[in-house]
This record gives sequence, C-alpha cells and structure tokens, in this order.
Amino acid sequence: MALIKLNSVKKIYQDGEISVKALRGVDLEIVEGEFATVYGPSGSGKTTLLNLIGALDKPTSGKVQLNGSSIGDLNKNELALLRRNNIGFIFQSYNLIPVLTAYENVEFALKIAEDSKKSENREKSIKILDQVGLGDMLSRRPNELSGGQKQRVAIARALVKEPRLVLADEPTANLDSETSRGVLELMLRMNQELNTTFIFSTHDPMVMDYASRLLEIRDGSISREERR
Amino acid sequence: MAVYQEKKGDKFMYLMKIAFRNLFRRKSRTLIIAGLLALAIFFALSFDSFMGGMMDLSFSNIIDFESAHMEVGSDTFFEDGEPDLDNVFYLSDDILKEIEGLSGYVASTPVIDFSANLIAGREEYPTVVRAVEPDSFERVFKYHEYIVEGEFINEGQSGLVIGQSLAELLEIGVGDYYTLLFQDRDNSFNTLQGEVTGIVFTPNPDMNLGKVIVDKSYAASSLGVDIDESSHIMARFENRDIAAEQSSILSERLADSGFAARSWREFSDTMVAMEAWGDLEIQFIMGLILLVGAIGIVNLVVLSALERVEEIGMMKAMGLKESEIVKVFLVESAGVGVAGGLVGLIFGSIATALMNNFGVDLQALYGDATLEMGVPIIGRVYGTWNLDSYILFFLFGLFVAVGASLIPSYWAARKNPVDAIYHR
Repeated sequence: MALIKLNSVKKIYQDGEISVKALRGVDLEIVEGEFATVYGPSGSGKTTLLNLIGALDKPTSGKVQLNGSSIGDLNKNELALLRRNNIGFIFQSYNLIPVLTAYENVEFALKIAEDSKKSENREKSIKILDQVGLGDMLSRRPNELSGGQKQRVAIARALVKEPRLVLADEPTANLDSETSRGVLELMLRMNQELNTTFIFSTHDPMVMDYASRLLEIRDGSISREERR
Repeated sequence: MAVYQEKKGDKFMYLMKIAFRNLFRRKSRTLIIAGLLALAIFFALSFDSFMGGMMDLSFSNIIDFESAHMEVGSDTFFEDGEPDLDNVFYLSDDILKEIEGLSGYVASTPVIDFSANLIAGREEYPTVVRAVEPDSFERVFKYHEYIVEGEFINEGQSGLVIGQSLAELLEIGVGDYYTLLFQDRDNSFNTLQGEVTGIVFTPNPDMNLGKVIVDKSYAASSLGVDIDESSHIMARFENRDIAAEQSSILSERLADSGFAARSWREFSDTMVAMEAWGDLEIQFIMGLILLVGAIGIVNLVVLSALERVEEIGMMKAMGLKESEIVKVFLVESAGVGVAGGLVGLIFGSIATALMNNFGVDLQALYGDATLEMGVPIIGRVYGTWNLDSYILFFLFGLFVAVGASLIPSYWAARKNPVDAIYHR
C-alpha cells in the first residue's frame, strides 16, 4: 500500500486577480521506505508538492492521501497531530526557535511528539546532534551558529523523533560537500534501518545521486520519473 | 499513520520555557509595557492609599468631634436637621438601657444643641452651641485632648470652650467675657454669659469655627428646658463597624417609638458621597489600567507575532496545535502582567509607606479647597494599607494582560503554516 498517494492534485494560488497554477494535476504514489528526490527549476512546484504531502497545505482540487487518510478530510488539530507524530520537516530557512539552544531545539521535537522518558530524550537528542557533527555545540543558540550549523540542527530536529516520513526542502543548500555527504549517509542509514521515507526537493546533484527515485517537475507537472 | 490519537508529551514545560525566554528577547519592549502597567498600578495603589487615609481621618474627625458613633434623638430632631429646642426630650431609662445594652457600647452623653449668636466685645458671630455634661462628654468625644489654652468647662460653671479659629476671628481669649444670644424654648430672647475657659484646636476645621461648648446644667434654665432634658444622646462604641451595625439594630427596635438612631455614617453623608466619588475615581483608574495595559499588550503580541511568523509556521509544521501556540503568547503576556504588577505593587508599597510615615499636607496640596469641599481635616493625611486593593490591582493587571492578548494570540496562531514559513 502506498504511504503517499496524490490523485489529480491541483494547487492554485490566488494573489488578487492573478492566479498562479503551482500544480496542474499531479498523480503520484510513494511507498514506505522510498528515498525520493523531486527536482526541477525554481517555481516549478517542488515546494508546493512537499507542502501538500506534508499536510501543511490543502489542494485546490484532487486528493492527497497519507497512509490512506485524505488530508482534505482532516481538521486543523488532526492535521497537527498527523504532522507531530509522523512527519519531520527540514526547511531551507532552518526556522529554528531562537530562544532555545541547539540541544533544546532538537529535544523540543521529541517533547512534542513522544511521551518518552527524559533520559531517553536527552540521549537521543545528543546522539543525533553528534551524528550531524554538532556534539560540541549543544548549548549554543541559533544566533551563535553558522548557516551550515543551523541547517544541521534543523536536520537533527527533523530526524530525532524517527518519523515515518521526512520532507526536506534543499537540505544541503548551506552545507559543504563533506558535511552534505555525512548528513545524507545518516539519512540513508535511517532509511535502511528504520524504513523511513525521505522526499527531497533539491538542485544538488549529490542528493540526486543518493536518491532511489528521481521525479522531475516542470510547470506544475511531473515530467519525468526515474527509478534506480 | 497515527492521526487521531494524540501522544501526550512533556511539552508544556517547553512551551513555558519558550514563553519565558521570549520575554527577554526584546527587553526594552517588555520593559516599556510592563513599566506602563506598573505605573498605572502604582498610581492606583497610591491614590487608593491616600483616599483610604483621607476617608479614615475624615470619619475619625467627624466621630471624635461631631457625631460620635451614634446619635439617638426624636424623629423630628432628625427630620428638622437644625439645632432646635423644640425637639428636646426626657431621656427614659428604657431607651438608656437599650443603648447601654448594645454590643460594643463604651459610653454615652446627653447634649442639647441650639443656635445662638456669640457676642464678644463688638463682634457677633452666629454659631451652634453644644450644651454638654462635661464628665460623660469626655468619655465620648476627644476635645479634652486638643485644648491649646486654658481648660475644659466644669459642671455647673458658666465657662465656654471655643475653637481657635473662632477665637481668632472674634479676637477673644481665655478669661475674656462672652455672651450667647439665643431664643429659648418659648421663643423669647435670652442670654448666657461668662468667661472663656478654654480654646481648642481640633483636627476637624468645622469644630474650630462653627461650634462652642457650654455646661448643660448651667445653660438649662436659660434655655427653658429641664436639666434632665436633651436634644439627643451621643454614644461611643468599640469601633466604627460595630457602631454602624448596632445603630441599625437600635433603629429597628425604636421603630414607632417616636425616637430614632443614626450612625456616624448617616451623619457623614458628605464624606460618604466623597467616598463614593473616590470609588468612582478608583474605577476610572482601573479603566485606565485596562486601556494602557490592553494597548500595550496588543502591541506586544502583534509585534511579536509579526517578528516570529516563521517560528510560528515551524511550530505548526512540527505539529503544535493553535491552542498550544496561543498558550505561548498568553504566558508571555501573563509574564508582562506579573512583572508590571509586582513592580507596581513594590512602588505602590513604597509610596504608601512614605505616606504612612510622613503624610500628605492637604492644605499644602489644595489650600482652602479642602475646607470648601467639606473635608473635615486639618494637617496631614496618612496613607492606609489595604491588602484587598493590592490583590485586586495585581489580579486586574494580570487579567488585563492575559485578556488583551487573547485575540492577537489567536490571530498569530491561526496563520497558515505555509504562508508563515515562507513569510508570504
């Protein structure tokens, strides 16, 4: 059974009298455990697609199903719980909480999602930050971190709760190639060990190299697909 | 995917932590808004303390020099409202027993009030004369403590006690002769004559100018009344509250007897009106707190929300519900309310302590306007501590802070996550 299923999904943004067709009838199925990459030029609809899959937005028409549930049928609270317990987001702009330290930003994701013991939360948070190379920067606040370091905190935050689905918008945009490789290896390991589904939106060829499925999107439609 | 079942997390403390730290994020903004709230609470408390002190002193001055705690007289005495010998009566043992049997009773004294012109040399001045029994009068009133020259009158003597302001006006002093010209019970003109024995300067300005005191046994025959007759009985109780309560009990018991009891509170209608006016002012100040606090808090939440729009979007993406994001803003606002409230209480306490120790000179503040307003106070007003006001103003400030942030908090939390994350 597909984890994600999109049927004739259209998304139109209305800005005054101007309509922007971001997606023009996308059909897509992604099964659990895929390591997929969506690529395409800027403005082609990559981010919109990720937002719909992540239940952050609802389609103008068509149906988006996550594990059989149509997001159009869920209310705001149900959508929040769906995201809380199942989806990890990585955004290009990090969106860390500035008043929390790197460690607290990561642990916060666990506190929201799980009823786990304090000691486990701490252990998990430190471990994931260590894995992204920030083990010695736990107590730094976002304003004390570089762009790349912030991006890695955002990645650690998305991965720490071991969600079923991770949606990453340009996750390596601010990372050097060595760090990018390290982070992608970590994600691949999670994918293989925990069967976590990853969907990336990227221009980075390295990310595409890691992907088991490539989806090219142009003018709001999936124009090409490749499985490896 | 688990959609419908919420996993309970230890997130509340984290939300509180975020809210608390956000207070320090824009320190100057938080300080200004908390400061405004503190200022409003400070003014409210200071005013409340001042008004409390003024009312307390006013009532004390009325009780100690004018009305005592309770007056008992004929129905017509209270209806007329003017000192009039037509209303004198023999005090029956039954009524006296009723008065003495009241809870908290301390002492009572019979008096006769009548109008007269005080003549000293060429000067003549209309005044109210209070004919009293010196011994019992001393147990009910406090004139004896405020004699500035000479001594209080003695029973059976022709002496007169006069207020310092009136003495200065008439240029009369201890040992000088006086004449009181009045109409007796039969409406014939009659006089009382003698020497001034004492000059008083009480904290109640009305008493210093408007009334003189003579011995009742000396005055009775000239007035055409019997020595056992009185225009009213004045009683002192252990405290004001008991007096007011016992006065209404006695009034009920005296119903249909032709007599009535009136408490100090009913006598002090001007002050009671002023007290109500003070309450109105307190309400006005509370309204001001509401306005200042509400504008400040709405401004704080809206600016914070605009600043943190991407964070709000991320929190929603992470799965926080709108109600949980609202909590963060509400706790922040409550933090401002608590900080402003506490600072206001501290400065309000300092102001009250200063007023309590040093007092405020009413005449220096308002000049003779206090006398024109009918405030029976000379000298300094001392602040009062009112715990209820502290609790009320603190909670009110907190309520305003949290209440005013509700709508902007929901406005912030309801932002579409995609628009928020990408700051559209």
